[in-house]
Amino acid sequence: MLDVAVLLSIGRHPVSGRARRAATDAQALEMALALRPRRLTAIHAGPPTDGEALRAYLGMGLERLTHLVLSEGADPVEPLIAHLRQFDPSLVLTGRQAEDGEGSGMLPYLIARGLDAAVVPDVVRIGPADAPNSIPGAADLVQALPRGQRRALTATGRFVATIHPSAPPARASAYGPARRGVIEPVAAQATADLFLSDCEHRPWRPKPKLMRVKRGGSALDRLKAATESKSGKGQLLVNPTAEAGALAIYDSLVEQGMLP
Amino acid sequence: MTQPSPVRRRVDPRAERAARTILTGQRPRLLPQPVAVAVNGRRRDPRALRAAALVQIQPRPRYDWARDAASAGATAAVGIGVAATPAIPLQVIAEPAYLILAMLDRPGGEVSEHDRQVIAAARLLADAGGGAVVTVSTGSGDALAEAGSDRHVALPDGWADDYVPERRAAAASALMAALSPRHILFPDSPDGGDVARRVAAAAGERLFAGVQSLGPDRATRQSAGGSLEAGHRPTRLMTVAVDAFPPLDGVRHEARPLDLAAPVMAGEELPPRLGGARRLAVDPDALSLSETDFILSAGNGVTDWQSFAELGEALGATRAGSRVVCDAGHLPRERQVGASGMVVSARCYLAFGIAGAPQHLQGITGVRHVIAVNTDLHAEMIKRADLSIVADAQAVMPALIRLIRERRHA
Repeated sequence: MLDVAVLLSIGRHPVSGRARRAATDAQALEMALALRPRRLTAIHAGPPTDGEALRAYLGMGLERLTHLVLSEGADPVEPLIAHLRQFDPSLVLTGRQAEDGEGSGMLPYLIARGLDAAVVPDVVRIGPADAPNSIPGAADLVQALPRGQRRALTATGRFVATIHPSAPPARASAYGPARRGVIEPVAAQATADLFLSDCEHRPWRPKPKLMRVKRGGSALDRLKAATESKSGKGQLLVNPTAEAGALAIYDSLVEQGMLP
Repeated sequence: MTQPSPVRRRVDPRAERAARTILTGQRPRLLPQPVAVAVNGRRRDPRALRAAALVQIQPRPRYDWARDAASAGATAAVGIGVAATPAIPLQVIAEPAYLILAMLDRPGGEVSEHDRQVIAAARLLADAGGGAVVTVSTGSGDALAEAGSDRHVALPDGWADDYVPERRAAAASALMAALSPRHILFPDSPDGGDVARRVAAAAGERLFAGVQSLGPDRATRQSAGGSLEAGHRPTRLMTVAVDAFPPLDGVRHEARPLDLAAPVMAGEELPPRLGGARRLAVDPDALSLSETDFILSAGNGVTDWQSFAELGEALGATRAGSRVVCDAGHLPRERQVGASGMVVSARCYLAFGIAGAPQHLQGITGVRHVIAVNTDLHAEMIKRADLSIVADAQAVMPALIRLIRERRHA
């Protein structure tokens, strides 16, 4: 991978609410550093800050980081696209969702549309998988699926990848490099995000957990459904031979789709 | 013994009297009253009742006293108090005022819980003004009628297995142009949320992601890392957060195929930039117990640990154990299932030599299919399991390994 850009945001600690490096963005930077690209561009777009959270990224081994300085409440998509077009990166890495702000997860898709690139969500590995025949000009990727499953796929041309939390963990941030690194502020023009200012915000109050209440039936049925654990009305084999028992288990597993 | 009819006929003394009246003579004559049936209806015959309630004789007699005595001799009803479910009235929306599109995932072809929740959220929007819910997924819509779908658009069957999100997004955009629905809802799952964001980016519209509450004029979602609630009018494109809406129960809608003027699946112009998708083999023992799908579990009744390990490898299942096994050091502590270990939600749980302590059964509440092998017929695990085998685990495990290897090489 020749030319990699990483989009970094300022995260928010879920309990204390303090600014920190965003977890999946740090993993994206870790993956970018592990690829050893010829050129690595790290960009943050947002309102002016004191930069302590951004310095945590520099402490991971970055030398410089571009900060596109926007006004409060501005939409970062347009300035990011304009800035990325100057570099023309072949791969853009970012986290899947911002930890602060709107956090809709739309940014990678809008950037990809602006750069005319493909989007690959939930990537955990970039590089040759155990593929026997890989197409030249295509990148091999591994994607995380629910329930710990993995999917290999290839992406042709330029693409934007979002990183899944089960990707390799980010290295710790070191204090010295974090002080020595340079944050370059670049003034950028952006339009205000009217939709976001149109939303009304209030503190989140946890909702009661959704209970699966079974309606209908008699009161006794509903009480049983609510209190008893599911009891299988299953098949019972008493003292079969080992072969007969094994065959019953095998057939049941095939029926459940657990064995081919 | 006579059976009293379930509904007693109402006595009409005037009609009875009129039936007995003979008008042929000079004056009306009344026939004498018919003689009452000799059997006393209030007298019970305990032997006949017992015979009617007898369900099985061998190996020991079993009586089902709750059974309807009229069906004696017929097959016994399963369970106790099975009431005939009243037919749910079909709700038809013939002329919908507007359409709400629900793009479903249907992973592996079955309607997931999250899909039902999306349809329930779509119904909230549709029922507010006489709209109809149009579900879009692979497969037929029959399974969606009881989830609350009015119309169904079936995507081609070949799309169910291969992963081409660009094609799905193109199909959604084409449907959006063809049907001009008022809202489009997606599940906020990895795949559904991905397609939703592609559609939103292509249409240049705002996506209201992860909706937590929904009404015709206000939708809310979590923002700022879950610390704020953002409210807005419902936008055109929304994704529905998991476990935010209860799935519908006790409704029946049409789910009839929507007749489209032109086939909308014309999303083939651009060659997809993502391709060659295939599932990778995952080491089952590297997965955590909470996310694995298939668990092979051992209890105090297992002594042959060599066979247990070989069986785990042959099945491709994640190995786990009960508290006793982990205390004894046969398995590491993070492989313990139960109240003090992991609460698992696997699809299949194969238990060898586990009696089923309440703490262990608590850990497997979310498991769909349980297979238990135990020497004790009266163990709790045998009652919980969907397939129970009363046998020694040390005998069944090698037999199962042999069977799997045989079938694999055959």
